[in-house]
Amino acid sequence: MSRLGRLFAATRAGWHSFLRRRTAVFFTFFFPAIIVLIFGVLVQTQPASGGLFTEPAGWYIAGYLAVVVLFTPLSRVGSEVARHRSGSQFEKLATTPLRRWEWLLAQTLVNVVVIGLAAILLLGLLFGATDATVRLSPELALVVPFVAVGVGLFCAVGALLGSLVDSQDGVIAASNGIAIPLVFLSEAFVPRELLPGWLPLELSPLTYFTRGVRAVTYPEPVESAVGAPLGTPTLGLLVLSGFAVVGFALAAHLLPQTD
Amino acid sequence: MDVVVAENLRRTYGETVALDGVSLSVSEGEVFGLVGPNGAGKTTLVRALTGTTDAEGTVALFGADPRAVEEERIGLLPQEFDPPDRLTARELISYYRGLYDDGRPVEELLADVGMDDSADTYYENLSGGQKRRTCVAATLVNDPELLILDEPTTGIDPAGRRQLWRLLTDLADAGTTIFITTHYMEEAQQLADRVGLLADGELVESDTPTALIDEYGGDSLLYIDGEFDDSVASLLDYETSLDDDRLTVRDVSPEAIGSITATLEEAGVEYESLTWTEPDLEDVYLELTGQTVTASGQILEEQR
Repeated sequence: MSRLGRLFAATRAGWHSFLRRRTAVFFTFFFPAIIVLIFGVLVQTQPASGGLFTEPAGWYIAGYLAVVVLFTPLSRVGSEVARHRSGSQFEKLATTPLRRWEWLLAQTLVNVVVIGLAAILLLGLLFGATDATVRLSPELALVVPFVAVGVGLFCAVGALLGSLVDSQDGVIAASNGIAIPLVFLSEAFVPRELLPGWLPLELSPLTYFTRGVRAVTYPEPVESAVGAPLGTPTLGLLVLSGFAVVGFALAAHLLPQTD
Repeated sequence: MDVVVAENLRRTYGETVALDGVSLSVSEGEVFGLVGPNGAGKTTLVRALTGTTDAEGTVALFGADPRAVEEERIGLLPQEFDPPDRLTARELISYYRGLYDDGRPVEELLADVGMDDSADTYYENLSGGQKRRTCVAATLVNDPELLILDEPTTGIDPAGRRQLWRLLTDLADAGTTIFITTHYMEEAQQLADRVGLLADGELVESDTPTALIDEYGGDSLLYIDGEFDDSVASLLDYETSLDDDRLTVRDVSPEAIGSITATLEEAGVEYESLTWTEPDLEDVYLELTGQTVTASGQILEEQR
């Protein structure tokens, strides 16, 4: 009861804190909308002419979801950690029963709900404004744990950045510095065939997210989506979960407790 | 029983020595006031006592390492504490209250710190004093046995400060042990059973306010303002000094003031006003930090 009570108190405080930052809320939901508008509606897919987007529209669902799962948790939790540091909040929390991992879990829960809602908005826009289609199967339900685990992983990475970088501005810059290369090197928008073969895409946890989500959403079986070393989306989810658990443990350990 | 025991604490940040062999103890139910100039090491000492910084030496709270003590027994208000600002005062106190199984009702805490009328205002929209009072309430949520407050009344107006003093006095009367750092000598004198003075990372002196004033406070002083020539000093059988348009007469009892004014009037010396002061903790502070303030307000520093 007491642990649940602490988690509930911290999650509720984090939820209110986020929802009342209207600019942050607006851009959290504006971000996926503008991405779909620019890439899905304006740029569009050009399968025959080899333009910027070479695959059918449905192929990029995983990429769009990867963007919201990656960017917002990374910068939000990173900034929150920086804010907590500058306001001596961790110093205060260190003398309360709330454990560091509990605080991070509370932040993660808030982000899972917020990003979940943003993902629903994104999918709604995709299906409404583009000709993207999705493969209907029981495996489609795996998108939910993929999003939840992906958010958890990048909340942890954001917390690591917030703990290691000494300012809120620095956290945002570092977040962008990590997120943008990851998007392009994790099969989110650029197929494996267009990248040098020696690039070890499997080192990026986002690769397991995009491959897994694509495997359960894309109507046609795609070699690169489920290719080696991943055999099934479930295995991809397990690998992603492994990254998330390790990242979470490391981030919780490194959250500042002292000055 | 000693609730807080610190022995030979030393903490450095690069070349800077923040704490240099500080030892102190605070017994159960005692209010210990720590005063000292900016940069003296007060906040570092608070952090060392709560285990939120690593320092050489030993610290024990309730006989145990600070990081091993049950959190329910301690309440900490950090100096630059800035909690989530888009929560109302009530929500903030509820948040910290929710981290403990047992504690005090939120409404009672709001009333205790005089925040019941502004309880539904976002923290970021509160005045500086209201913010600090909310933070103090957030420190009391678990009804701690040991309260550690790092400059709790900074930024609070006099009325709010006195309200907090009453609250802290009531807590002390009920047996709460309080360790408080402050810039306000009046506050330390009002609240503390014992006062420690920290300067350059060293605990220079520690005793009851009365004992410190007796030892270091110096003489009672009579200030006579007017236009005087140098010969005025020879009229009085007291140690005097003339600084600008102020004659300072040392070690004057209140009963002796009448004879001094009579002597001046008999000699035809006119004056504009008289001010008598007895030594207080501020004089102790200035004496122990090696600072003096001239009549024109200039601060002179001596090498300690």
